[in-house]
Amino acid sequence: MNTTIINDQNTGDTAVLPERIKGFPFPFSSDSYRYSANVEPAHKIVQTDVGSWGSSLIDVDEYYLSDLKEREKVLEKDPSRTAVLPHMRPAVWDAITTLLPAMAEDHPDTMSYHREGNVCRWTNTLQNLELEFTVGDDDSLPMGPMRFLGSQITDDIVFLDPREDTLWLDAGLVTFAADWSFGFDVGMKFMEVHTPVPRVTTEPVINRAHQFLLRLQPGEQFRRTNWTMTVDRRLDTSTESYPEWARDRGTIANDPDLPNRLHLRVEVQHMLCLPHTGAVLFLVRTYLLPLSDIAQVPVWRERAGHVLAELPDDMAEYKGIIRYRKAASDWLLAGE
Amino acid sequence: MRIASLPQPAGTGCESGFRGVVCVSFDSADDTADHDAGGRPRHDLRFTSANPESLSELRSALLRSSVGIRLVLTGSPVDIHAAAAVAAECGLAEEEVTLVSDESGLRVVFCAHCRTRTETVEPIGSEVECQGCATDLEIANHFSRRQAAYLGFAANAEEAA
Amino acid sequence: MTMTALQPEVHHAVKDGLQLEVTDVTRQTESIVSITFADPSGAPLPSYVPGSHLVVQCGTGANAYSLTGSGTAPSEYTISVLQVADGAGGSLAMHRLAAGDLVYVSRPRSAFAPAATARHFLLVAAGIGITPVLSHARACAEWGIAADLIYVHRPGAGAHVTEAKELLGSAVTECSDRVSFQKTLAEKLTTQPLGTHLYVCGPVAFMDAVLDQAREHGWPSARLHSEAFGAAELDAGEPFTVNLARSGVKLNVPAGVSLLETLEQAGKAIPNMCRKGICGECSLSVLRGKPQHRDLYLSDQEKAENTTMMCCVSRSLDEELELDL
Repeated sequence: MNTTIINDQNTGDTAVLPERIKGFPFPFSSDSYRYSANVEPAHKIVQTDVGSWGSSLIDVDEYYLSDLKEREKVLEKDPSRTAVLPHMRPAVWDAITTLLPAMAEDHPDTMSYHREGNVCRWTNTLQNLELEFTVGDDDSLPMGPMRFLGSQITDDIVFLDPREDTLWLDAGLVTFAADWSFGFDVGMKFMEVHTPVPRVTTEPVINRAHQFLLRLQPGEQFRRTNWTMTVDRRLDTSTESYPEWARDRGTIANDPDLPNRLHLRVEVQHMLCLPHTGAVLFLVRTYLLPLSDIAQVPVWRERAGHVLAELPDDMAEYKGIIRYRKAASDWLLAGE
Repeated sequence: MRIASLPQPAGTGCESGFRGVVCVSFDSADDTADHDAGGRPRHDLRFTSANPESLSELRSALLRSSVGIRLVLTGSPVDIHAAAAVAAECGLAEEEVTLVSDESGLRVVFCAHCRTRTETVEPIGSEVECQGCATDLEIANHFSRRQAAYLGFAANAEEAA
Repeated sequence: MTMTALQPEVHHAVKDGLQLEVTDVTRQTESIVSITFADPSGAPLPSYVPGSHLVVQCGTGANAYSLTGSGTAPSEYTISVLQVADGAGGSLAMHRLAAGDLVYVSRPRSAFAPAATARHFLLVAAGIGITPVLSHARACAEWGIAADLIYVHRPGAGAHVTEAKELLGSAVTECSDRVSFQKTLAEKLTTQPLGTHLYVCGPVAFMDAVLDQAREHGWPSARLHSEAFGAAELDAGEPFTVNLARSGVKLNVPAGVSLLETLEQAGKAIPNMCRKGICGECSLSVLRGKPQHRDLYLSDQEKAENTTMMCCVSRSLDEELELDL
């Protein structure tokens, strides 16, 4: 048994915390937050105040099927959320033959992978899927390699090609972007993708990350977390769909339902150097947890409240939370 | 002094295996005439704008050339960015292409919401109406060489109506 | 440090690597043998990037050798080793390896990767420099990309010539004298289609001459690649001593062992995350001595102040460092 029982300070009830809270990668370790290259090796288990996360490269949780369904809807409406520049085809195959066996190893009850020469057998019982394909033969996968990979993992997928002493964002499938446009950014250099980050000129963190990724050796796997906030459990907060969700940013502060509607959005970002092509694979798994859930863990409630209150305005502006961060921190800290 | 050669009919361009400097100027820009090819063979192309015909002529000139070639593009952002995207497609690396941009000229804003391309002389940071969906777009300081355009996104969308 | 007499210590360069069995030794030429390794249990080996090298521990030393396969889902790794007359570089010991021997090798490391955007390859090799270039030729054949190969070797002393010709056919030009090589190189350098990348491997002076000539013909640096063994990894560094001022303890940091590992072995809990010199977690205060900064975290100014160091990768320029620990 590993259910966690804590005393809910608001109600005095004891509550058994659900998986979505116990497995949530709560990102704050202190009462303030600044950009940092908070990089650590992949697979390392992180103990939180109420549970843990981080044991597997590709997380398969209760949202696995529903998130993939959401992804299909986004792709159907807007195919520009995925692109593969022609020279990145081998890298996509490299990712498939790296990630599927990693998933099978982490989830042996539901998935299996066998490779014989270039012929691979993949079973994913969560999707009732059993198929055989040939590495390098795009037609051997029903929807092509990139779409196929995006139908097996819920992470957003970005490929960076190392050349001319820099990294080029030359392929990917991104349906759950936090305020950026993959389709527009395809073909950009890593530093160009990040040009809108404030303080980037004073904080060397982006350049440091760039140097780090350039020096990754094939087979190495690292990860970091990043965070922002999102109104409702909306995964697609891309620039493309901005007109659909922008208004919520202006109205949520005065919404009495704020604790249930406003979510802490945490990205667990994995960085891998693919073994055969040397391309850098950047995976972004998005977790959303409403403030009402955060508040079920008193330490989280307090820490998140202080971080939001303390965050410098330019960072709050960049994260798109400046219009409501005070309302959020007020609510969180009122529970103390 | 003008040393540019006369425009050549499409298809004849520079000779096969050319490894000198290809100077392309758009519209009335005279600047490429001043470009110093450093004593290397030089081939001039003059176009009114970066339209499908001129870009296809540029493409075939590049594909006939060999490693060693350099490309100099002179004109408005709208034209030279489109030509630079063609050069990249043809396999030219950044250090093989020089852009001489007339910043007062037209630039392209790509609407993130309806994907329409709107040409404007408005500077980065200002707003322009999308010719596709009529949204007021803020022109971001975010440029894609593949799209040959600046990103435009709905301005003031977070204000309540 | 404990170690058993029968089991030689694992060299730092192959730490976290693989233990493989020699499955085949084939003589290529009078002075070059090809050695094939496989997992003793028959398990598949990690794929590698074309042009990668393997560090092989043989005897007390460890040396880097280019892998000659394409790197696609390999079941074995093959290298070719030139026996150097004066015996330097461990080549004698390598030539003594026989089927059944067990050796420690590193995971394949990439420092000569093919550009994904290349439309065409111009491969240039001299002597044993054929090995990484053969790996590129195989990868080109697998992905259907055209390549030209100029291969310079002494008459009758060319290794892997047959394989190269099977892969590239008439695109292989063999040269065994300076004049014919110069003529071929000049001709190839001036006729390559747009998007060609040049890869050269051979003696340093040979590579420099080829690269200089390419630049003279207008090749930009983005298209020029030469093999530089081990450039992608940090070297083992010199041994040094740390004096922990507050604990009153002195520790020796041997070559190939990081300061962080040394402190951990001595029971010190040092906060750390990446262990790669980027995250800044394992920062230590330096009281005396000049650290050898090898991290990506500290700014140039901070490095110059010599009051802080990242103990996961950085070492010491002085024989002893005093730390606030």
